[in-house]
Amino acid sequence: MEKINIPDTLKSFAQRKKSELEQYETVITVPSGTCCQAAGSLPVLLSLQKAVEKKKLQSKVRIRVSGCQGFCEQEPMVVIEPGGIFYGRVKPEDVKEIVEETVINKNIIDRLLYADPVSGKKVAKEEEIPFYKLQDRTILGENKFIDPCDIGEYIARGGYSAFVKVITTLSPDEVIAEVKTSGIRGRGGAGFPTWKKWEECRNAPGEIKYVICNADEGDPGAYMDRSVLEGNPHAILEGMLIGAFAVGATQGYIYVRNEYPLAVKNSRIATDQARELGLLGKNILGTGFDFDIHISRGGGAFVCGESSALMESVAGKVGEPKPKDVHATERGLFNLPTTLNNVETWANVPLIIKQGGAWFSSKGTEKSTGTKIFALTGKIKNTGLVEVPMGTTLRRIIYDIGGGPQGGAQIKAVQTGGPSGGCLPTLKFELPVDFEALSAAGSMVGSGGMVVMDDHSCMVDVAKYFLTFLQDESCGKCVPCRIGVDRMLEIITDISEGHGTMEQLDLLEEVSEAVAVGSLCGLGKTAPNPVLSTLRYFRHEYEEHIKNKRCSAGVCRELIHYSIDKEKCNGCGLCLKACPHGAVTGKKKKIHVINNELCNKCGICKEQCKFDAVILS
Amino acid sequence: MPEYVNVTIDGAKIRANKGTSVIDVALEYGICIPNLCHMKDLNPIGACRLCIVELVEGGRSKVTTSCTLEAKEGMVIFSHSPKIVETRKLIAEMLVAEAPNSRAIQDVAVRCGVTKVRFPFRNKNCVMCGRCVRACTEIWRSQSLGFVGRGKKRHVALPFHERPDFCKRCWYCVDICPMLITPCDGPMEPGNEYLCNKCESQLTMALESPDTCIQCRLGKGFGCPRGVTQE
Repeated sequence: MEKINIPDTLKSFAQRKKSELEQYETVITVPSGTCCQAAGSLPVLLSLQKAVEKKKLQSKVRIRVSGCQGFCEQEPMVVIEPGGIFYGRVKPEDVKEIVEETVINKNIIDRLLYADPVSGKKVAKEEEIPFYKLQDRTILGENKFIDPCDIGEYIARGGYSAFVKVITTLSPDEVIAEVKTSGIRGRGGAGFPTWKKWEECRNAPGEIKYVICNADEGDPGAYMDRSVLEGNPHAILEGMLIGAFAVGATQGYIYVRNEYPLAVKNSRIATDQARELGLLGKNILGTGFDFDIHISRGGGAFVCGESSALMESVAGKVGEPKPKDVHATERGLFNLPTTLNNVETWANVPLIIKQGGAWFSSKGTEKSTGTKIFALTGKIKNTGLVEVPMGTTLRRIIYDIGGGPQGGAQIKAVQTGGPSGGCLPTLKFELPVDFEALSAAGSMVGSGGMVVMDDHSCMVDVAKYFLTFLQDESCGKCVPCRIGVDRMLEIITDISEGHGTMEQLDLLEEVSEAVAVGSLCGLGKTAPNPVLSTLRYFRHEYEEHIKNKRCSAGVCRELIHYSIDKEKCNGCGLCLKACPHGAVTGKKKKIHVINNELCNKCGICKEQCKFDAVILS
Repeated sequence: MPEYVNVTIDGAKIRANKGTSVIDVALEYGICIPNLCHMKDLNPIGACRLCIVELVEGGRSKVTTSCTLEAKEGMVIFSHSPKIVETRKLIAEMLVAEAPNSRAIQDVAVRCGVTKVRFPFRNKNCVMCGRCVRACTEIWRSQSLGFVGRGKKRHVALPFHERPDFCKRCWYCVDICPMLITPCDGPMEPGNEYLCNKCESQLTMALESPDTCIQCRLGKGFGCPRGVTQE
């Protein structure tokens, strides 16, 4: 690739690439993000390539390997343009039929179409699928059109034009003013106004400044940053270029988890290609603006997602948070002014410049503008990434987009914002999802994880799970977080094992509050949220565990036991064969018995029994 | 010419040297803020969180450690607001439950108003205040001690658990360790720990959180000039 030296050349480059891509009659998109690959997209891709080759269609059909499109429930999927025909859960065996029927004969294969779980109707076109239809996919929607490993495709779709606009027509102050009009707030969780951060950093004294992209996404059940970075890395590079121009930075870092190998790979390819084209490096597009991006791999600690710990880690030190009496915009990475934003924030920047701050602020609520991606997981029908305007109600996200509970269960709560967030009960489902409303309810938007729980989940166990996670991931520097979270876990373990007391429950609340007030960094300050929110909305479950020594969801192992209904058991022996601990005894055609001393409460016998003879009590 | 800034701590208007931390200003003035990991000549890390104060800025209050907070012109600080006293008390309670076998920690706890410990005692030998690590690194430039591990597994250790050649054997780490003064009644057996409350009898006022330091060795630890030393 040749270096582009004048901004105008980028336009002709885009034109050229566009007409090059338009030569193909059909485009088959196979999303192959990490999640898609786990679901088996690579064998599908391979057989697709073979089938196209076999039919000698290479000049007519283009196979695009894109990033994740968010509908994880239906992966691996294939989307065929023109028409936007959507086939979900494709197997390698189906590929031959797809090529012959759909690509050559233009027929739709009914068998592979997506069936709406609510109405049962088959849907042929991608945009008509309710899961997609109810969303506003300004960022995620781009993933479909872009091969992350080809900068040309991004440029052909108008990529880097926002940066050209900025560098040729706008001043840094105008850029910050535009971002201010948009009202965008940090997508990493705290919701700090982005323009304010930029302005503080711009006004901070110093020649050398840095911008950082925080892609250290460690929340259990959240993966939107990964999908964006994997699927559309150039949007982030462009956002960072604009940010660097606005704050006056010359060096940028993308701090990405090493557990995201594909994101690391794709962002490296992206920076290399951008450098080759002259969009990174010295004298970008001949304008005299210097900026380069370095990919910094994370060391595997959750706490490194915290801004000051992240900067320590980038600098090669132990990733431990520092006191934040001086803002990072004044003294951040290497003690120099630094602007750190989340992946999603950076990805929004080019859109704000391109379409205007007013366009962005027209979405969402007054104080929380724009769209936000949520990772919808747990016990619902449609799991995946959901992008909706801020202020959409939880009910709409969970029931309308998510399709409601699986298999006739009742949804009990939703956990938003990962380990730092809280659990909200169904009563709160009318709540609009924005920064203020969720924090008032005791949870937070956080990075955007949403784990839906049904009546098979015990809230004490959920709080215990998050505390175990946080205790494991706490850096151990400050007392409230290191000892406090450990003590909280100690108390919750007591409660879940049935020897908790009511005094301990009060103490748990007291410790939670002290940890929230006294901790050094955001991890500790928000660590008690899962406990405080479950105590606020599900106190009866805690009391049930303490007073009645009972776990009605049947989760806490110490409080449940399995037995066999003598009337229903017909001695088939399935449970006996399945039990990994040898706890079931009984002869053929005779009633079986579970030995409670050997039983590990794994529940396999209950799953195996075809006659509902295993009782959980 | 030294430069000065004016700060307000607990309602008292104090002129302080520019560049000093709030805790040093307060202690010099005689406002006793309990602390453990703070040492005047070392870089603050804000780990023990005992010296937390409330900083009121633009109508909002923010909780931060006074050791890491540099005194700036016009700062308004509350070191003994109800929220701070309550949080500090619980932190001290957790600390003393972790290491009851230290007179220094017991003293801090009593100083923060802890009269009863509601957690099971753990009897550890280290509370990870990091005094030794920082003194070794910053004063002696030796770096013979460091933190190893994360979270609950965090501990202070020598490189590869062997004393390195560059250890200067100054034993300063031992001198400044808060764990080395055993309680007045002598070391406690694991399982028989208790909060002796002896220091409380030496308090001159029956306040939950006295404004003078306790007249025992840790009164010196706070660095408070109003604490009368008794040798």
